[in-house]
Amino acid sequence: MQGVLGAFRELDSAVHAIEELRQQRFGDITVFTPTPRHEFDHVLAHPPSKVRIFTLIFGLAGVTFGFWIPVWISDYWPLVVGGKPIASWVPFTILGFEVMVLIGGLATVFAMFGLSRIPRLTTTVGYDARFSGGDFGIWVRTSPERAENVIKVLTKHGAAEVRREA
Amino acid sequence: MAAPVAPYPRPVTPTERPNIPSAAVRLPAVKTYEQIDDEIAGTLRPTLGWFALLAMAMLCMLAGAATWTYQIHEGLGAAGYQPPVMWGVYIITFVFWIGIGHAGTLISAILYLFRAGFRTSIYRCAEIMTVFAVMTAGLFPVLHLGRPWKFFYLIPYPNWRLIWPNPKSPLVWDVFAILTYLTISSTFLYIGLIPDIAVLRDREKNPLRKAIYSTLSLGWRNSDREWRHFARAYLFLAALSTPLVLSVHSVVSFDFAMALTPGWHTTIFPPYFVAGAIFSGLGMVFTIVIPIRKFFGLQHYVTLNDLDAAAKMCLFTSTVVGLAYLTEFQVAWMSGNQFEQEYFWNRVFGQWAWAAWIMLICNVVLPLSLWSQSLRRNPLWLWILSLFINLGMWFERFVIIVPSLSHEFEPWQWGTYRPTWVDFGILLGSFGWFFMWFLLLIKQLPVMAISEIKEVIPPRLKQPYDMEHDLAEGIPMPDETGAQH
Repeated sequence: MQGVLGAFRELDSAVHAIEELRQQRFGDITVFTPTPRHEFDHVLAHPPSKVRIFTLIFGLAGVTFGFWIPVWISDYWPLVVGGKPIASWVPFTILGFEVMVLIGGLATVFAMFGLSRIPRLTTTVGYDARFSGGDFGIWVRTSPERAENVIKVLTKHGAAEVRREA
Repeated sequence: MAAPVAPYPRPVTPTERPNIPSAAVRLPAVKTYEQIDDEIAGTLRPTLGWFALLAMAMLCMLAGAATWTYQIHEGLGAAGYQPPVMWGVYIITFVFWIGIGHAGTLISAILYLFRAGFRTSIYRCAEIMTVFAVMTAGLFPVLHLGRPWKFFYLIPYPNWRLIWPNPKSPLVWDVFAILTYLTISSTFLYIGLIPDIAVLRDREKNPLRKAIYSTLSLGWRNSDREWRHFARAYLFLAALSTPLVLSVHSVVSFDFAMALTPGWHTTIFPPYFVAGAIFSGLGMVFTIVIPIRKFFGLQHYVTLNDLDAAAKMCLFTSTVVGLAYLTEFQVAWMSGNQFEQEYFWNRVFGQWAWAAWIMLICNVVLPLSLWSQSLRRNPLWLWILSLFINLGMWFERFVIIVPSLSHEFEPWQWGTYRPTWVDFGILLGSFGWFFMWFLLLIKQLPVMAISEIKEVIPPRLKQPYDMEHDLAEGIPMPDETGAQH
């Protein structure tokens, strides 16, 4: 994986650098930031995360399973009490709800892992330890021919350090 | 072209708006991201005081474990059970710890959805507290079993016995609710910790610790892709956790409300229990956060504004709990049900009056002091009050359980309850168990959310924001989300 990595001390410099890189049609840009910043969301203009789809699907699967467990148990081991229904849905709502939250919640987390591509075995290429501290990073994946342009843009906007990575 | 950068408004000094927390004045003494890393990671160094507290907690835990061993050998009769009171200290303490476990998710999830800024510096402590409180609570139904090694009979799974638990029983609902709550609250805690563990990983020099942090951080790199999915997942987890918090203590209240026992069989129990749980949880948050704030030197992170806001919530939940107490009396009075009326009279003026008055004074009268702003902003008073709240909320559960069981329908059924040293040994052990885990964790992982605190302080800018210039030029002001109006 070839590209250029720039480290910025200031937020606005990093944002202006990304704006110019996008104007020059560099598409594969990764931003590293110690904390989520809306400025980067605006400038990168990514579509919304798809995590919610997993939450919905697995939440619905969870509530179905949560109702199915007590209905199946009641049918298998009926407790006949004064003509009351064997599978009474009202108390089973509690189990349905709890299992919905359990499966929906865990699916949300695993979807986040999958979409974020973690767990990751290495952080070395295109990353620097200072990006979890106080600096902002811009990693541009590009061919060696266009790398000079990226270096120029990052330097022009005040990057504290720019380096090629391969 | 993307929208122009909207820098943060110029920070104002805290003296300009002393009592109104806002993004601009939230943490005036915290200037840079590096300062946050240094100060919060600095709390991980063990101290002599920490070792002493840990030793005390482990001693208490071992005392509880020894007592339990004795009880297993002697049988449940070693505890103070005597008919008709067959639920005693163990169930009281179970409900107590479950209640404590409610504040963490309230602060981390519900206040997150409401965008309450004061949660930022206290929610990590509250979440850690929640996980260990629920873990502690989960021990008590097992301790309460005559044959604790059979606890797994409550879990529905295909088994050679060909028998299944009754899904219409509140005890089975409890199993589902508590296991779900423990799983989701632990997950919520861990997810929030991932970016902070990455900070520790990147700072760590010791290869062993670095390897552990690298594994725990899952290779987190703070990339925009990770943050985008993280933020959405965190929001949905908060949205799922919010009704979960409300459901768990409602389910615990069904353990009582589903029975016909006087004092228990009432529809007010779910909201009453939830309000009480949040109240007691906030009490424990003060008990834990105030010493941490002082001894870790984090007064500029957990500001007086934050304590003030949390104290207001505490006052609010105290009034809800007080209203619930009064409503119970009113319903008993208006019901015309002799057994209910007898029970409530007995509660306040009879056999158990001492316990009921401890409850009322600690949970309703003393928290009224929080109407005073100076007391809300006095950490010492908040800490002392929190101890009374913990005591009062333990007695609330005592008052719910023991007087009801000891004073049911027929006079010949009436009895009394005297806990033995075994009950108190296990109660002490539960505190030791809880604080042992808590103390161990706070020296391994940050007690404050590093990445979220960074979010609320102004970032470093090349061109400082000139509000007066922009106003003069008619350039729109950014709001807290960065949108310009």
